[in-house]
This record gives sequence, C-alpha cells and structure tokens, in this order.
Amino acid sequence: MKRPEVLAPAGTLEKLKVAIDYGADAVYIGGDAYGLRTRAGNFSFDQMKTGVEYAHARHAKVYVAANIVAHEQDLPGAEDFFRNVQAQGVDAVIVSDPALIETCILSAPGLPVHLSTQASSCNWETLNFWQDEGLERVVLAREVGIEEIREMRKHTDIQIEAFIHGAMCIGYSGRCVLSNHMGLRDANRGGCAQNCRWKYDLFDLPQLGDKQSLLGTDDNGKPEAFSMSAVDMAMIEHIPDLIDAGVDSLKIEGRMKTVHYVSTVANVYSAAVDAYMRDPEHYQTDPAWVDELWKVAQRGMSTGFYYDTPDEQDELLGEQRKRPSYAFIGEVEHYDAATQTVTVQQRNNFGVGDHIEFYGPGFTHYAMTVEDLHDEDGEAIDRAPHAMQIVTFHCPHRVAPGDFLRGLKVRRHTRTHVQA
Amino acid sequence: MAEIIATVESMEQAEMVMKAGADWIYAGEDEFGLRLPHSFDRDELTDLIQAVHAQGKKIVVAVNAIFHNDRIVKVADYLQFLTDLQVDMVSIGDPGAIHLLQQNHFPLPYLYDGADLVTSARQINFWANHGAVAAQVAAEVPYGELKSLQQHVQVPISYLVYGASAIHQSGRPLLDNYFSFVQKHQERTDRQRGLFISAPHKPDTHYSIYEDRNGTHVFATNDVNLMPELTKVHELGIQYWKMDGLFVHGQQFAQIVAAFAHARDALAKGTWTAELAADGQRIVTDNTPVNRETDTGFFDIDPESVK
Repeated sequence: MKRPEVLAPAGTLEKLKVAIDYGADAVYIGGDAYGLRTRAGNFSFDQMKTGVEYAHARHAKVYVAANIVAHEQDLPGAEDFFRNVQAQGVDAVIVSDPALIETCILSAPGLPVHLSTQASSCNWETLNFWQDEGLERVVLAREVGIEEIREMRKHTDIQIEAFIHGAMCIGYSGRCVLSNHMGLRDANRGGCAQNCRWKYDLFDLPQLGDKQSLLGTDDNGKPEAFSMSAVDMAMIEHIPDLIDAGVDSLKIEGRMKTVHYVSTVANVYSAAVDAYMRDPEHYQTDPAWVDELWKVAQRGMSTGFYYDTPDEQDELLGEQRKRPSYAFIGEVEHYDAATQTVTVQQRNNFGVGDHIEFYGPGFTHYAMTVEDLHDEDGEAIDRAPHAMQIVTFHCPHRVAPGDFLRGLKVRRHTRTHVQA
Repeated sequence: MAEIIATVESMEQAEMVMKAGADWIYAGEDEFGLRLPHSFDRDELTDLIQAVHAQGKKIVVAVNAIFHNDRIVKVADYLQFLTDLQVDMVSIGDPGAIHLLQQNHFPLPYLYDGADLVTSARQINFWANHGAVAAQVAAEVPYGELKSLQQHVQVPISYLVYGASAIHQSGRPLLDNYFSFVQKHQERTDRQRGLFISAPHKPDTHYSIYEDRNGTHVFATNDVNLMPELTKVHELGIQYWKMDGLFVHGQQFAQIVAAFAHARDALAKGTWTAELAADGQRIVTDNTPVNRETDTGFFDIDPESVK
C-alpha cells in the first residue's frame, strides 16, 4: 500500500514552513500571476525559491497553482512565468486552462503539470486524455464519489489528487461565473466574490414585475433565504477509504486560511495517514482528530459527494448554532526546562486566568491555565495585548519552539454531519 | 457568410427555424448534452436528423455534458449512433469524450464547447490541434477580446448572439434541497416550472434557475440579444451565430431566428441599416416572453473593467 501525500495550502512563506513542520508532505502556493487566489499572500520568485529550499531540505514538495482560465490579454508573459517557476526548483504546477498547459509544456519542458480541479474531471477517460498529454496528475472534481475513484483507479495510472478538507464550491469548479455577472469579478481569474454564499429571493415570475416569492421558514419559523452555500468538507473519518481507493494526494483547501488552520489541519491529517499506514488492520479514527478540526472550523462539515449527492444538511441553511471555538494566541519561542518557563510571541490577546492549549508537530498537546505572565523586562503583567509581544510564563510541561498556543472562545457555527 | 445554429424543442419547431433561415439545428439528449430545450431520445433524434438533412441543412448534436464514470461508458455507443446517422457535428466539452472520439476513430467533426471556460485563441487552437473543427466561445468574452481572439484562432468560432446564458452549474439539487429544508415541497423544479432568483439588494434581477439530471443550472438575469451589435459581430467574421431558444418557445423563437437570418443576409449584402436593426429589435422584443428581458450581455463590457 502506497502512502499518499498530505498536501496543504500555503498562502505565505510562513504558512509554507508551518505546513511542512506540521506534517504536510507537499504544499501548494500561488505565484504573482495566473493563480486563482489574488487576495492570498502570493509568492515572488525569490520567496518561491526560499520555500522550495525549505521544503526540499525536509523532503517535502512545492506545487505552484497557475489555475486561472486565461483571456487573450493574460497570456503574454506566460512562457517566462513557467520558465521562472521551473528555475526555482518547484516540483509541479497546477493548471486548468489548456492554453496554459500547452504553454507550460513547451516553455518549461520537464516541469510536471497537474490538472486543477477547475477542469471538473469526473471520469477515467478524461484522466487518460490528460495522461496522454503528458500530465503527471489530475485533481479530481469535488463531485466525484469514493466508488467512482475506485473505478477510475482500475482504468488509469495517472496520479489522482482529491480534496479531503476545507471550503467547497457549490458548483462544478470552473463552471461558475456568478461573480462575473453579478459584480464584474471573474471567478476564473481570481476575482470570485463568493456570490454563491449570498442570500437570494426565490420566486415565480409570471410576468416582469410580478414576483411571487416561494421563500419558506426554518424550524423556528424564521424566514429562510435561498442560498447556494455549502458547508465545508471533512474526510477525517474516512482516510482508509481514500487510501484504499487509490488516491495519491490528499488535498486540504485554504490558501487564504490562517497559520492556525494550516498547522492544525495538516497536523491532524498527517497523524491519521501515519496511523493508518502503520497499522491498517487496527486503524480507528481518533476522536481527538475530529475535535481538533472543530477548533479551526469556520462552518459545519460534511463528506461532500464522496458517499452520496449532498442534501440540505450539507448546505448552510438555517440558524447557525453556537459552538466553542479557539483563538490562535501565540508561538513558542523558547522553553527553559530548568525554570519551567516558556517564552511566547503573542498573536492574539491573552492573559492570566485564560485556559490555553499548546499544540505541536506530531499531534502533541498540553492544556493549562495561565497563572503568571511577564513582559520582556520581566515585569509582571495581567494581559499580553500587543501583537508580536514577547512574554514569559510558568509552564510545567516541556514544550518546544515552534509549538503554537490557542485559547478557548465562543464562535457561531452551523449544523454538521461530522460529529463534534 | 455566417451560419446560424439554432436549438430546437421539437420537430415542428425545427421545421419552423429552418424555414426561418437557420443553417444548423442544435439538439440532443440530456444524458449527453447540457441545457437543451428538449431531450430527444434516439428515435426522435433519428427522425430529426433525417428531416434536417432532407431540407439540405445540418445538425449539431450536443455531447457536451460533464461526464461521470456511469455515463462516459455510454458515450462511445452514442457517438457510434451519431456516426451511423451521419450527424454533421457534435459539441463536446469533456476531454473524456474527445478521448473516446479519437480512440475509436469516429468520423464526427466536433465543436469544442467547454461553456464559460473557452476564453482565448490559444486554448481554442489547443483543441483545434486535437481535432476540433470549431469552438463555442464563452459568452463572457467581450467584443474587445474577440477582436484579438479572431485574429489568432485556427478554426471558426461560434458565439451566442441570442438566448439564455448559463452562468452556473452545480452537481447538487439546490432547489430540492432548499424546499426540503423549509418543508415546502414543490411538484417540480425543472425548466418548465420556470423559477427565478434575485440577488440581494437587486430585487429587479431575475436569474432563471432549474434542476435536471445534470444538476442545477443558473442563467444570467437577462438573455443575450446582439441584434443591436450585429454590425460588429459581422465585422468580426464570426462563422457561427448561436441562437438558444431554451426559454423561448415555438413560433416565437422561430420569429427571432428569422430576424437574425434577415440581418445576417443584409449584412452580407451590405444593405444593413439602422432602420432594419430597429425592425429586428422590435421583432425580438415582440417575441420575448413576458417574464424575460434581453441585453447585450458581456459583449459591450470593457475587458479592463472585469477584475
């Protein structure tokens, strides 16, 4: 049985390093052009090189997403872009537009190409078409089920990458231009305004001006708008199915997401994959993994199309319910074992009396209550309110530089299929 | 001279639109084609193809769905069926279907139709180098980009000059899911049901939405009507004028096809005038259903204004 890679998003160089430190076998990033996440902290070529060096030193890979659907004016410069990407030592590019695929193959021969999920690949003939074109891998459409992947594997040798966690397009990726038509923002060129998550009226229209609304109410009698908003995907309880079906790369969504999210999700899925590869016969989902994912969840979670066509429970409908959630509050800079003192760089306000949790690579955890706090000058303080502030406090458990801290807070969430 | 490709909902309407001046009939079965006015089963399609050829016209059959495993296994047989009937062209959007076409050496010319994904000459030429004889350009490609695109394409392009413009396809039954959630069961959520959505703060918008076996489809708030811009369309040298009658039925759609055919002829002869354009526009308006509106869509949008 082949170990699949855990592929994590990396919107910045910091997130790239964190993702790899927390167990990702590969990361995907965006360059300064041709990527779909224009608002993510995309990489310059110098940053790309630094990221690749960091990754390769740790036996991890770096892929660059260049997955826009190009219009005429976007194409000049594409040759140089791919040549430069290749020059930085990047392991593959993720592309969806055949114009860019061909450009990449011709201008940067030898640079592996992965077909983006934007191309909505849903059958093995499509996979074989792209394999014949010389592509190394296809990222499947999120609409593909686990049995379909099993069947594909029987008919193709190309590498298969599948999304396992994160936000989902409600439509076939790429086959949605709501954003173009509702706000002149091209969804396929990085401008998606997530119009699918808007609240719409739904109605009959016998003639213009005669709207007859069909909107209903939720369980509590409150008006419920029509929406096209999916809950997020979480396949943590189904890792064996994905591996046994022949998925080569398990992809986590979220180049726009935080260090807290990237570290947590990469940590969980790498722990699960490691556990299954170690002893598949006795493998069980650790409830702690699921709990951990809820600490960074933004929405409810479901298994998408993997086991059935999603129903209303897989959409963000109805009143959101409150769930405990966690804030990212800092990073361990140093631990003095002799004095049991930890030095922390603050990322969010915390202080004496707060219940906090340390977590680190390899799925290590330690929870405690902050009983004392000192600033850089050793002065006792109650709170650490300043961004990047350096503070120390007593911690009886040995933690390590690079471990992160989170604290409990309350946030609103929606219903779920994955048990909290 | 430009050729008009018109969708049809029935044999009767096919006769009408051919008489109106359409050069190509566009039809298919919804197991293989997307967003069709009618799903022609094999018997119906056989009759339609014979009728079209009897008129000396041509037919495009839609094979442009996004195929999952369960349907891709049926595509080769369908392509063989279309080959046997001497179909003039098929539209394809899934590379898996192209793979089958090539592996089996079916002598079927194909028009590449990847919906909103077809946006550049270089991409079209990629498909041309893989056997495509034409390509359906996305409705989101404006005039300013078509000028450059037309200079570089190796095969003729088709462009939507009239009809509903699809802007979203979901694999989920979004309407059924919503109605289930609010416990407001509807007998049907298909195209004939005729539902619309409007965007927040824009109550006058009316995006058509329906479900079928290919998922949920959403369309632009206004249908495309390039009658006011046909001089530009003509000067671009677009070979195929696509006309989609998904929401315009029977004789009404045939009247609109006739108006575009007259315009096409006048433009070719150099007799097209502002008055004729106004007449054409009046015909379009008179035959547009009372719950729909038209505009020029993305055609007049400045490419630089799209973020």
